[in-house]
Amino acid sequence: MIDVVGAGMPVAWLIARAAGLVAFALLTLSVTPGLLMSTKLLTPRRQKALLGWHQTLMWTGLSMLVLHGGAILLDPVMRFGVTAVIVPGTAPWRPITVAAGVVAGYLMLVLAVSFRVRRRIGVRRWRLLHYASFAAFALALGHALHAGTDLKGTTGLVFAAIALAPVLWLTIARILMPHPVRPATTPRATRSAVSQERSDLPREPTPGGALTA
Amino acid sequence: MRTVWATVLSVWLLFAVVAFLAWTRQQPTPARSPQSIPGAVIVKGKNGTTRLVVVSGAGTKAPHATTRTSPVPAG
Repeated sequence: MIDVVGAGMPVAWLIARAAGLVAFALLTLSVTPGLLMSTKLLTPRRQKALLGWHQTLMWTGLSMLVLHGGAILLDPVMRFGVTAVIVPGTAPWRPITVAAGVVAGYLMLVLAVSFRVRRRIGVRRWRLLHYASFAAFALALGHALHAGTDLKGTTGLVFAAIALAPVLWLTIARILMPHPVRPATTPRATRSAVSQERSDLPREPTPGGALTA
Repeated sequence: MRTVWATVLSVWLLFAVVAFLAWTRQQPTPARSPQSIPGAVIVKGKNGTTRLVVVSGAGTKAPHATTRTSPVPAG
């Protein structure tokens, strides 16, 4: 029996690569407005607009990530099983860097879902959880550079620089920027104000008068 | 509306990247040498059937990473 491979395009393989690249681009585009909001460089109105894009880009990136994994499953050459795509470290090819991509995907999912349960888990925990976005970004970049077949050599360095530059710059700006002065009020009001100041969200007055996110 | 825009732009970006990857896969087009003229090979199967397989430039084409062949069974 002779296995004849068609001379046509490996469609699943092309879609897997393209979806991976687009997913990473969308993750970068989602992280950037998130950092821009936390630096408080923008007015609350623009922050609110950016918050919407921040979430939308994250969910769109996740959908591209699902397409990335699905296309890899359909590729006849890679021979990735469902387990290899879902469970980190079980991939037959470059298991560590593939695991980095899988973990980054799970972190993206958790971060995207966290917007829906923000009121339930509280702003403080939600913010702490959001630090995982740095890990997700780093893992995804490592996955793209090492496991990806399109980002070798100079192309990979240019790609990494384009993705890293705004994220790094905004992170440094966020660390170095002075925090706003907290008003001296009652302890309860102060706690609410502090939690609001640390929030990435525009202020919303509640019926009780306290500021919550 | 924002979700619709994000989806539409992402899908178009995906198509553009797929097209680019497919295009770069075909480049550069090697000049066809006299030895790379397509030919036909008659393959006999185990059960006595014969099959005509068209081979383009046998022995002169560089192997590709995405090309997968199964070993020819003995006998």
